[in-house]
Amino acid sequence: MSKVDFSRMKFYCDETLCIDCNGCVVACKEAHEVPVGVNRRKVVTINEGIVGKEVSVSMACMHCTDAPCQQVCPVDCFYIRTDGIVLHDKNKCIGCGYCLFACPFGAPQFPKDGAFGTKGKMDKCTMCAGGPEETNSEKERHLYGQNRIAEGKVPMCASMCSTKALLVGDAHEVALIKTYRATKKGQGIVTDSYGW
Amino acid sequence: MANTWGYGAMTNHIGDMQNSKAIIIFGANPAANHPIAMQHILKAKEQNGAKIIVVDPRYSKTAAKSDIYCRIRTGTDIAFMYGMIRLILKNKWYDQSFIQDRVYGMDEIFKECEHYTPEVVEDITGCPKEILIQATTAYAAADPGCLIWNQGWTQHTVGSSNTRLGSILQLTLGNMGKAGGGCNILRGHDNVQGSTDMGCLADTLPGYYGLAEGSWKYFAKQWNVDFDWLKARFKTPDMMQKKGFSLSLWIHGVLDEANNKNNADAPLKALVCIGNGISTITQTHKMKEALDKLDLVVFIDPYVNDAAVITTRNDNMFLLPAASQVETEGTVVNTSRCAQWRYKVVDPLYEARADHEILFDFAKRFGFYDQYIAGMGKGDKFVWPDDATNEIAKALKTIGMQGRTAERIKKHTTNWHLFNDTSLKGRGVVEKEYYGLPWPCWTTSHPGSPVLYNLSLPVSQGGMGFRTRFGVERNGESLLAANGSAPVGSRIKGGYDEITAKNIEELAGITLSEDEKKLLEGKNWKNDDSGLLNKYALEAGLAPYGNARARTIVWEFIDNIPKHREPLHSFRHDLTAKYPASNDNPNHFRTNVRYISEQTKQEWVKDYPINIVSGRLVEHMGTGTETRASKYLAELAGEMYGEIHPKLGGKLGINDGDMMWVYGTGEGKIKIKCKYGYTVDENSVFLPQNFSGVWSGESLEKRYPGVTAPYALGENSNQITSYGYDQQTSCPETKCSLVRLEKA
Repeated sequence: MSKVDFSRMKFYCDETLCIDCNGCVVACKEAHEVPVGVNRRKVVTINEGIVGKEVSVSMACMHCTDAPCQQVCPVDCFYIRTDGIVLHDKNKCIGCGYCLFACPFGAPQFPKDGAFGTKGKMDKCTMCAGGPEETNSEKERHLYGQNRIAEGKVPMCASMCSTKALLVGDAHEVALIKTYRATKKGQGIVTDSYGW
Repeated sequence: MANTWGYGAMTNHIGDMQNSKAIIIFGANPAANHPIAMQHILKAKEQNGAKIIVVDPRYSKTAAKSDIYCRIRTGTDIAFMYGMIRLILKNKWYDQSFIQDRVYGMDEIFKECEHYTPEVVEDITGCPKEILIQATTAYAAADPGCLIWNQGWTQHTVGSSNTRLGSILQLTLGNMGKAGGGCNILRGHDNVQGSTDMGCLADTLPGYYGLAEGSWKYFAKQWNVDFDWLKARFKTPDMMQKKGFSLSLWIHGVLDEANNKNNADAPLKALVCIGNGISTITQTHKMKEALDKLDLVVFIDPYVNDAAVITTRNDNMFLLPAASQVETEGTVVNTSRCAQWRYKVVDPLYEARADHEILFDFAKRFGFYDQYIAGMGKGDKFVWPDDATNEIAKALKTIGMQGRTAERIKKHTTNWHLFNDTSLKGRGVVEKEYYGLPWPCWTTSHPGSPVLYNLSLPVSQGGMGFRTRFGVERNGESLLAANGSAPVGSRIKGGYDEITAKNIEELAGITLSEDEKKLLEGKNWKNDDSGLLNKYALEAGLAPYGNARARTIVWEFIDNIPKHREPLHSFRHDLTAKYPASNDNPNHFRTNVRYISEQTKQEWVKDYPINIVSGRLVEHMGTGTETRASKYLAELAGEMYGEIHPKLGGKLGINDGDMMWVYGTGEGKIKIKCKYGYTVDENSVFLPQNFSGVWSGESLEKRYPGVTAPYALGENSNQITSYGYDQQTSCPETKCSLVRLEKA
């Protein structure tokens, strides 16, 4: 019997480490050649400048298990991969913006440079997994950007994170890293930096 | 730094910060300016339990990650540190044996600090005394503690005193020469350490050799040129040994004829600017006047230098497109003295040419190409940049570059993955070596020195005491390290003078052969081409530069010990009588520089009641010439602004998003957007330094040739920063300035 794969891909951003450097944002945009005005990823800072209360966190599509965007989409353009990555089909998308209303995180993005400033096809974080077109094809790259997951690479944002605040991977693995960090707290240097 | 213990460089390295138990950060914002360094700081906090203490007028992104935040008024760091030292003294938290064995003149500091009670410190700095006590307690309790600073300390009229007192604070606590301690200066940008090592300074030759005749003669030999030929290149012989105009002061050599007498009776007539953002210096409006007045201006840059559009001259200005870092090859040196080979990725695009090719062409046309390349010793058959790298290794003995050959540096870069980033130690084919051979790297088999002044390692493995640089005694007191204080494995168990041909036999316990004696006649460790002195010194466990005490008293300086002096344009006019600026200096890097006369000229704060806090944005680099030309970075930070507290905005009637005029104490003014925020106090405005291309409300976009204008343009904040230069180094005062804000 073949082994069942229960992996679910998740992002996790540790707000005690995120320094609002926007490295993730720029890495994402450069990698996928995202147009100016469309932000697949953003760094949000709350209580900026208030002593002891400022917190920054990097946000993108959270790839929800029960994704609200998928439920409200009138043309059913969303699909969820078996590893949990939420993707959509730009050929089906009609740019209505329902997904943006439904999303708790403001992830769906719409180009604003069309005639009359109308909304175009929705664009969002693909967790660097491309879209429904043929994997690593020119068409896929043009519509959705790189497919790094297919190449076995870490998504661009997390790989570029300067303080390793942003983690991505199977939820179980991410939780293990977080647990490891928590149990090693204050115990001396135990890891090499770039794998921290 | 150099005047305290011998070398002006970061003593430890970035990864080493992980070993700290407390990290105190003054005048630096690594979260915005050195995000990768911040990784090591946060790792020290999480895994090593280090307390992070940030002393800054602004609640920066770094401060947001601190355990203790101390908000001080700009330019009052010295008072704050004396307050710390006084608490350390009163509570006996100092390292008695370290001070006894390795420091000269600590009594003077302990005397001076008596004045700085927590109450006095609170009055001067504005930081509540409870927080000072809390920060000092936490920092003194940690072993080891590391101190970090950056331009927030150096760009002051008293910048040199800031860095000295920081070094002294570390000496007080015995935090020097050990992993996790040290003074870690985060350099402002890529290869700053490398370019100062190469002598991109107004007062040294490469490798920090001075300008005395002996140094020139030494270099004439290294460069394989005739000393008299070199000498003849100067207008008068005395100019050869005179400090030049510094980067911050050159404008006064153009504009103020009174300075001609310091410059062989002539004003500056031409400027060649190679890859320098000269508008990051204060008083950009004066720089414009200077650029307009010069006979000739040349910019060599991959991008159009913003100074080229600021000037309104329309003749005799040349923009030469230079290759970027990926289009050329060579070494870079990072903030922690480590070298790395930068391989060429692509050939230069379009008309761009590598800097050295442009310079070779200049040399050919000026007629000194043969002499220019003679140092490499191969005529015009040299291999670039390998032979030049080896020439550097051969010539720069003062900082121990002998071991940094092109071959070794390339080997380290290629095997980058084999080094541990906390210790820099290599494994496998680079076993026992330290990444990038941090200088001093005394011989071609030396592993480099990751932590300076570390006694727990033999010299041959990167250990050393403090440098014997200031003589062996002062007023009858020895300046050499005490008995028992020497690197592990040293033949001499205490202090000793720098190694010379005269003392090597006695110190190393050897007898030189007649041939060796002849070879070494009149030589010392700084000019011995044979390498014998270093070889014998290392074999006996001796550092070629000696083993001495660090000094707190710098008798050559205006302030023998660091003194708190109010900024020239002080927000606290009432304190200027008690803590006055130093006397005017008529010939400071060939310039007549005003100090006390500027401070007492008027009660500045009356007309200019708001303090500025300046800094960088994480998205941009220097003047932003390169980064503002990136569409994504321009999207994230595309507009110049001034951040003020909503209460100040309310008082001035300026709303969030309004445009406002900012008037400086000079003649400059800028029109920028008001942003409400809480990072600075109610008397201050935060101004980012990264914009240019808008001039007092007018866009200069049309002055950019063709399509070269960057995506984001903005007012240059240095148009309104005040007059002022460091009393020793002439570093510009970009940090303490007063302004007036008005709704536009």
